[in-house]
Amino acid sequence: MNRQEILKQVEAIFRDIFDDSQLNIVESTNAEDIEDWDSLNHINLVVAIEKHFDIKFALGELQTLKDVGAMIDLMLKEKINFE
Amino acid sequence: MNSSFLNKIYLGQSAKFEKVIDSDMIANFIKLSGDNNPIHTDLSYCVDRGFENIVVHGLLTSAFFSTLVGVYLPEKNSFLRGIKIDFVNPVYPGDKLEVSGEVVFISLAVKQIEIKALVRNQNNNIVSRAKINVGIFDDG
Repeated sequence: MNRQEILKQVEAIFRDIFDDSQLNIVESTNAEDIEDWDSLNHINLVVAIEKHFDIKFALGELQTLKDVGAMIDLMLKEKINFE
Repeated sequence: MNSSFLNKIYLGQSAKFEKVIDSDMIANFIKLSGDNNPIHTDLSYCVDRGFENIVVHGLLTSAFFSTLVGVYLPEKNSFLRGIKIDFVNPVYPGDKLEVSGEVVFISLAVKQIEIKALVRNQNNNIVSRAKINVGIFDDG
């Protein structure tokens, strides 16, 4: 799975969590771009990504990520062999 | 963090308990919530609409999901973050309910567990089911 394919699947997760089928996600998307991206929905996003990609993040690992691109960087670091 | 409370919780961990719905519970819930809709108070209204008896408030029975998390699974060091409930069948006064739950997901990253929970009546029919997100205080 390449970075673009991961982004596409992450976008689908965002659309589900934020209940917005028109939501467009790019690597620079951050919490300031999505009004409902609050602390609880951040938790919902992390859990949904962990489930979807069968990946486990470490405690607090996603607290300081600046945008979606950084999130994908971390996903690739945690699970190199996306197939 | 190896000895933390969260690390002691495991997938498949489960708990269950029973509750019998009595008229005092219904009266107290009406007093608490103010929901005195005839579906919860008027027998003939309910029978006319195909129910066997007055229908117990769905949110009264779902209060037991709070009990499940706070008292049984995982008990201490927990708090509700979110819950999605489906009410599948009506609950009537006198029903004996079995409330059960199982841990189906654990996220160490956000200190949260997910519990799949069910309420069954004395006929073993599911009356409600829930997906419960539970935050964990990890200092216990």
